[in-house]
Amino acid sequence: MQTAAAIKNNEMPDALLNQSGEALGVAQVTADHTPTYWVAAKDLHQVMRGLKPQFPMLYDLFGIDERHRTQRPGQPAADFSVVYHLLSFTDKGDIRIKVALIEPGSVPTLVDLWPAANWYEREAWDMFGIIFDGHPNLRRILLPPLWEGHALRKEHPARATEMEPFAMSEELLDAEQEALLFKPEEWGMARESDETEFMFLNLGPNHPSVHGVFRIALQLDGEVVVDAVPDIGYHHRGAEKMGERQTWHSYIPYTDRIDYLGGVMNNLPYVMAIEQMAGIEVPDRAKVIRIMLSELFRISSHLVFYGTFAQDVGQMSPVFYMFADRERLFGIIEAITGGRMHPAWFRIGGVAQDLPVGWDRMVREFIDAMPARLDHYDKMAMQNSILKQRTVGIGKYNTREAIEWGVTGPGLRATGMEWDLRKARPYGGYDQFDFEVPTAQGGDCYDRAVVRIEEIRQSLKIIRQCVDNMPEGPYKSEHRLTTPPPKDRTLQDIETLIHHFLNVSWGPVIPAGESACMVEATKGLNSYHLVSDGGTTSYRTRIRTPSFPHLQMIPLISRGLMIPDLIAIIASIDFVMADVDR
Amino acid sequence: MSVGATIVFSLVLLLAIVGGAAVLTWFERRLLGIWQDRYGPNRLGPFGILQVLADMLKLLTKHDWVPPFSDKVVFIFAPTAIVVAMMLGFAVVPFSPELYILDINIGLLFFLGMTSLAVYSVLLGGLASNNKYALLGGLRSAAQMVSYEVFMGLSLMGVVMLTGSFSLRDIVEAQRDGWYCIPQALGLYVFIIAGIAESHRLPFDLPEAEHELTAGFHTEYGGMKFTMFMLGEYCGLILLSCMITTLFFGGWLGPVLPPIVWFCLKTFFFICFFILLRAAIPRPRYDQLMSLGWKVMLPLTLINLVATGAIALWMQGA
Amino acid sequence: MIPFLFYMAAAIALVSTVLALTRSNAAHALIYLIISLLAVAVVFFLLGAPFAAALEIVIYAGAIMVLFVFVIMMLNLGEEGDQRERGWLEPGVWIVPAILAAALMIETVAVISMTEGMTSGEMVSAKAVGIKLFGPYVLAVEIASMLLLAGLVGAYHVGRRLSERRRGGIS
Repeated sequence: MQTAAAIKNNEMPDALLNQSGEALGVAQVTADHTPTYWVAAKDLHQVMRGLKPQFPMLYDLFGIDERHRTQRPGQPAADFSVVYHLLSFTDKGDIRIKVALIEPGSVPTLVDLWPAANWYEREAWDMFGIIFDGHPNLRRILLPPLWEGHALRKEHPARATEMEPFAMSEELLDAEQEALLFKPEEWGMARESDETEFMFLNLGPNHPSVHGVFRIALQLDGEVVVDAVPDIGYHHRGAEKMGERQTWHSYIPYTDRIDYLGGVMNNLPYVMAIEQMAGIEVPDRAKVIRIMLSELFRISSHLVFYGTFAQDVGQMSPVFYMFADRERLFGIIEAITGGRMHPAWFRIGGVAQDLPVGWDRMVREFIDAMPARLDHYDKMAMQNSILKQRTVGIGKYNTREAIEWGVTGPGLRATGMEWDLRKARPYGGYDQFDFEVPTAQGGDCYDRAVVRIEEIRQSLKIIRQCVDNMPEGPYKSEHRLTTPPPKDRTLQDIETLIHHFLNVSWGPVIPAGESACMVEATKGLNSYHLVSDGGTTSYRTRIRTPSFPHLQMIPLISRGLMIPDLIAIIASIDFVMADVDR
Repeated sequence: MSVGATIVFSLVLLLAIVGGAAVLTWFERRLLGIWQDRYGPNRLGPFGILQVLADMLKLLTKHDWVPPFSDKVVFIFAPTAIVVAMMLGFAVVPFSPELYILDINIGLLFFLGMTSLAVYSVLLGGLASNNKYALLGGLRSAAQMVSYEVFMGLSLMGVVMLTGSFSLRDIVEAQRDGWYCIPQALGLYVFIIAGIAESHRLPFDLPEAEHELTAGFHTEYGGMKFTMFMLGEYCGLILLSCMITTLFFGGWLGPVLPPIVWFCLKTFFFICFFILLRAAIPRPRYDQLMSLGWKVMLPLTLINLVATGAIALWMQGA
Repeated sequence: MIPFLFYMAAAIALVSTVLALTRSNAAHALIYLIISLLAVAVVFFLLGAPFAAALEIVIYAGAIMVLFVFVIMMLNLGEEGDQRERGWLEPGVWIVPAILAAALMIETVAVISMTEGMTSGEMVSAKAVGIKLFGPYVLAVEIASMLLLAGLVGAYHVGRRLSERRRGGIS
């Protein structure tokens, strides 16, 4: 393991040195080996500007309430900290910059460097009350406009039982309604131009095509979208807050419900981040099982995308075919895990159970039948000329814009950038598999669909390799922090019994530290940044989801288009609101 | 037919159309089910046909709500317009040599007039709802229907030229030597497309466009008034199929079977065809639909018109 | 039977026209106007001009009035528009036009009562209309078509400039 000194001497990027060569940052060691530096708020902007050429994407930005944290060796004193995670697409890896704040603190905004910072900073303000100087519109984003307090602060109650009983009086209802009213002036919009009076239309939060509870306030000239303001937070359930009171183990089912189409794919970054902190090595069989199930869920999610995409441009039939396939797929998932959409089946150190007898026959049947069906769908939907007219050239953005706005996954690859985390930085055993990274060149709605559909084929390829080469061996690690621990010897020796009892009743105690783990999820890069204070629960659970920045981009790519184009764009982004709001 | 017989036949026809439209809702869902790899309503009664009854009961017993912010009189008037106009349209359809209500020398124009009046239903519904989605739907429908009415009318003029009459019975009789679907193939093509646009069904359901405008012009409608819109839409579908049969496929003409059976069979075929279209084709964008109309449909109909006229004159000369 | 139907249609046409004039809500006024046009179509039919009746429905009621409604939807008038309309119903505003219209009506009635028989008693078929239009009136038809073409080109020009400017302003 690297020491703080080693990082400081050898790898400190130039951007972290001032003119006279002195270091502006203090290094911190993390369990995931991502170079992490503490920087003073006044230097932040300069440092970030220097880092941007090497690390072009602002991958994540979030706050941590440091006030109750006991184990922070070598870290500057802080009430709150703001964490910036920058991504490089070269072999440089990532870098993490942290800023310590003493309450009431403020940091300079980074909106001028990365437009994607806008929503992230609003979120950090919403959750912690951290002020970002110079932010153009620092207002609540996830919590309702009239919410009191900042929900992720430690003093904010986590359960309803810790608060006064909730009552919605007439006055409160009116006030809430009033606060939800869209006021164009707050967003710097004019109500009319020289020629025309604009119409403001609330698309959502309940609308057939917004895939959940998502509101877009549209400024319309006729049917032409002049500007749009996406409004999120209607699906916010405080998943990050729940992470702070659930045990490490019992939080797994919550992760399933983040990207609810991704199933166990959500478990993967979470359990891998814990395994990194705990130093658990996962056996090969468990790795391959995890990959196989993740890829099955990738197919499932992409099938939903495929069907709804066709449906949203007005094609009625494809969705039924794709849902029928998804149903077959769920049959396999159910046979293996017992669950369907939310199996919560991965465990710290492995998976919940071994594969059932006959699993390979089911999987083989599915992957044998799928390619022909995909060809059929291709003819039915993707080659349809009206569908092409509706989506080719609509909602275009290029690679540079995608990176500026934090777009990952198929949305990034559709711009021609061949970058898939599974290939670029193989995790969890993906380096053992042979598959291609599909790309497209146009970066429009149609290309995003093309990429996803090709990904289904690649996933089938990966699954076939899993079936053909499933290793023998344990499905769970022998490590003492594996949860629940292997039970076969518990009734024979007292040590194992005690471990089992404690790990099951209290849950495992994960060593203090910080770790983030990133996966190529169905919709883009998904990661869990976990902070352990050496307890049975997480001190801070940060969930970085791909859909969040994708939605932020909607106004950019929909201006000047018409409402039906906006619907096509929404469909092509492929998001679920649970993944956005958490 | 005597006056008494005409009245009886009108009543029978009225019942048949309303009943047919109701059964069609079930039939469409079953047919879509077959094409979409699923079942459709199959629980209630034999083949699920009682679903029609259940749906009707449900719609009839729903709260008959008029939004307080709407223009109430127009709001209630709007859905009736489409039903009345479509029902009247059936008056000129010759079901067989003996079975018809009206045989006027402007029968075809009467049909066009009734379909153009049906537009008001959508338009006024959208206007009276005082809802932005409904308004957008109404605006779309106004532009769409006025445009497609033009092509619809023009596409039929070839048939009129060949027959030399606007009377639908004359048109059928004139097809004894050959159906007009062959000499008037272009006209048929335009008429079918314009017909779907007029009846605003998928793929040209832009005034409703569930995925864009929630439900477009009938966003605020529910219960009986919504039923009227649906009834109007299905009547329009049946009427359109009847007209295609009459104008291009020889109406009641056919060997062996009685004329009325031939007429019903042909009409049924086109109803199925329209349902298949709905299942198969995505919805174009509003401006794409309009440019298809003015840049493709209009030139096509004009070419058809000129060519038909020239050939008709040449035939006369020869 | 026929005279009764005729007078009924005529009465409906008159009443609905008056109502169309006096409504302050534009949408309501248009509905009355449409009803008036339909009643006139019935009158035409009864007078033996079924082709004119059909065109009245297809073109006036079915297309032109639709565009009127379209414009009203675009304008988004609301209560403000109603107020303005009510203002125009003050006697001071309509008294002079009403007198002029009354004078014209007396003249029309006088002229009609002097001529013998309002219709020729013949059916005017579509064919007859066509022969008339492309026979004695062919020049008028051609001039009208040119006028319409000019209007079409003009509308296209105006519309195109507007949409171009709009597109330029956005991107």
